[in-house]
Amino acid sequence: MQKVCLTVNGREVSAEIDERTLLLEFVRDVAGLTGTHNGCLEARCGCCAIEVDGDVVKSCNVLAVQVDGAEVTTIEGLAPQRLAPVDHITTQSLAGMYRPLEAVRGTPEDLHPVQAAFHRCHAVQCGFCTPGMVMVLKDYLEENPDPTRDDVRRAIAGNLCRCTGYQHIVDAAMEAAAEMRGDPAPDSAAHATTATADGV
Amino acid sequence: MRPFTWLAPDTTAEAVALLREHGTGARVIAGGQSLLLAMKERTAGPSHLVSLAGITGLAGATTEPDGALVVGAATTYAALTRAALPGWHGVLSDVAGDLADRPVRNRGTIGGALCAADPRFDVPALAVGVDAVLRISGAAGDRTLPAAEFLRGNGITAIGQDEILTAVVLPPLPTWDAVVFEKFRHRVFDAAIVSATCALRRGAGGTPAAVRVTVAGATATPVVLDVDAAATGADTGDVAAASFHPDATDEPTRYRRELVRTLVRRSVDRAHSQQGSA
Repeated sequence: MQKVCLTVNGREVSAEIDERTLLLEFVRDVAGLTGTHNGCLEARCGCCAIEVDGDVVKSCNVLAVQVDGAEVTTIEGLAPQRLAPVDHITTQSLAGMYRPLEAVRGTPEDLHPVQAAFHRCHAVQCGFCTPGMVMVLKDYLEENPDPTRDDVRRAIAGNLCRCTGYQHIVDAAMEAAAEMRGDPAPDSAAHATTATADGV
Repeated sequence: MRPFTWLAPDTTAEAVALLREHGTGARVIAGGQSLLLAMKERTAGPSHLVSLAGITGLAGATTEPDGALVVGAATTYAALTRAALPGWHGVLSDVAGDLADRPVRNRGTIGGALCAADPRFDVPALAVGVDAVLRISGAAGDRTLPAAEFLRGNGITAIGQDEILTAVVLPPLPTWDAVVFEKFRHRVFDAAIVSATCALRRGAGGTPAAVRVTVAGATATPVVLDVDAAATGADTGDVAAASFHPDATDEPTRYRRELVRTLVRRSVDRAHSQQGSA
């Protein structure tokens, strides 16, 4: 047994664990964050991608003891307000929590730009691969703000999606990239043009 | 995964002592991107894992006074991709940035690739291709070994049980004027089926004075071909293909033989057309 202490989404989590515990298992079973998915367990599918000290890794192919003391960010860490525990899920509480995501353009209080773009572009079908896709794209777009569609496809080469055919995921990545660069959103640009036309 | 004891030494000397103490059951782990896969499948079952993560000075690239580039064995592919390496040394960044996938490149190390000695891996092929020298620390002292002598077979290296690969040394820039790496794989994250490296040095007047062509993937260890410096890419490709199992008629071998021909031709042609490096 080995004592391992990690900072997961800003929260310190420490435990005595078997040396064989994978980082994936630590995040899911010890930290209790099940947004990180166990897909293939052999570093092929990318569903378990999380950030360790700012670099995205496949957590199924890293031992928890290897990253003792590290800062870990999982998919839950991208949208801080979603971490608030909900004790009793009722229709009312769900209705109270719901906001049309079209209105959300990735402010810190809401979703990460990549998450918001995934929602807008319908880049999610079954959703199993989504946490990994989002984590890899976040890491990639932070380093490469102005990618081509081909670059995006290469960036997510290590993430498998069995539903979407990747088309909408690439669409979402391109929109998220534009938003992370600070380009004006296509909608508001259209509005601006209309307003000018009306003004004249 | 079989149970193991986790050991995290602070220095290379400590790590070597631990390897010596625990004998054949002990394995070195850097990023773990190959070893952990093998351990999960139980094709590897070390009793002790000696981690290099806590040892300072094993990661990063520095240039020696003689111009040689010393790359620490625990340098990740991602770090190499970001490194601004001058002249043909930059081929190392290109190769490191175009293999496996992004999350794997963030953990995988070049020393790990060499010690895994997988015939399809790019780094061992390139190390032999540019005639790199490996630095090894062990209980009996430090030694150096050319990459071609380090790789002994599929998964087999010349490293001793109580030794650690500490650095890969690329020769100084004037050694080569152009280095080109070509590979073929079906999907971008696959390991190469065949790769070819052409390192070229020009003589007075810009004509090729020496050409070193290395083919990997088709055989258990990279093969350095004996080629004529003045030969064209097409001729060199034919020579390379003819030397690779000329009598075999089975499809996998013929397929690889055609890859050898094409990749060698491309690498030599590209090296010929490249201007001398800075």
